[in-house]
Amino acid sequence: MPDATYLYAVARDALPECPAGVADLPVRTISRAGLVAYVSTVPLEQFGEQALRRSLEDMDWLAETARAHHHVVDAVAAATPTAPVRLVTVYDDDAHVRDLLDRRADDFLRVLARVTGRREWGVKAYADPAVGVGPGPRTSGDGNGEPCPGPGGGAGAGRPGTAYLQRRRASLRGREQVRRQVLQRADHIHRALSALAAASYRHRAQDPRLSGRHDWMLLNGAYLVDEGRDAEFAEQAAALGGDGVEIRMTGPWAPYSFTVMEMG
Amino acid sequence: MSQTERPAWRVAADPDTVERDLTRLVLTLVELVRQLVERQSVRRMEQGDLTDEQIEALGVALMRLEEAMGDLCDHFGLRPQDLNLDLGPLGTLLPSND
Repeated sequence: MPDATYLYAVARDALPECPAGVADLPVRTISRAGLVAYVSTVPLEQFGEQALRRSLEDMDWLAETARAHHHVVDAVAAATPTAPVRLVTVYDDDAHVRDLLDRRADDFLRVLARVTGRREWGVKAYADPAVGVGPGPRTSGDGNGEPCPGPGGGAGAGRPGTAYLQRRRASLRGREQVRRQVLQRADHIHRALSALAAASYRHRAQDPRLSGRHDWMLLNGAYLVDEGRDAEFAEQAAALGGDGVEIRMTGPWAPYSFTVMEMG
Repeated sequence: MSQTERPAWRVAADPDTVERDLTRLVLTLVELVRQLVERQSVRRMEQGDLTDEQIEALGVALMRLEEAMGDLCDHFGLRPQDLNLDLGPLGTLLPSND
């Protein structure tokens, strides 16, 4: 079975040693155009297009592969400014990777210059759905006694049907209002943190099932912060919480959110 | 990274559970339509293109429907949150009430 080249990250410096990569394969480097690509030789049997289509459906395989991928990226990023590459980026062979480094050298160098001396922090904000989102429990059980509402009938003094629709309207409006307030709050947090960061990016809020939380995620932000401003940033992030919103800060990460380039 | 998961909601062809699962599916769809009609009624009430009698009739009908849904759920031992479909990346079919 022929092999392919799996790309983890691009940096300017080669590390003397690197942890094992995906499928426990050794990681080596390809140097070209002042850049160093961190790669593994992988069997097409596992990393060919068809095999991947199947494997990517397999949560266990995906988790294991992602863990190994990030382990390599983190090791490189800890030592030198690094542009991580998206999970499961596979090239036909080393020549294609060298070609990529040749063609995109300027882009890579620009990205690397941007992340030098900076680290990525993740800030997630959660609202408790029980407090933040409150359409209230289902209303039922008041206003019986009315006969079947034929056309033009049922015009009693109580008008329970009208009252019901008005309650529903209030509930739908309330929900909409809460949603708007929460979105405004998220914008505010993001703006305040972006002001301290060299760059920022808002990811889509995660599905509660993936994060294992039931809270409503209102912000899933990534911030590229100068190393000297870490403490200030963390302080600001903590200060933006409270009042029904919980802030979770993670990192430092390799600058995944700020180095994604479309690989042609 | 594409998000892939086993579907959490499926109709299992087990004779013991198939009736309950199908009931759940049917009630879910009925509940979806009920909520859509309810929202549409609220919208039309706000726009003012319904007479007072029409509003009252609609409201009573919707209220009865909600009660009937509650009774059916009780009968089949289903909770309101059971009447929802997980559409993966699109979220859930009905807005979650919890």
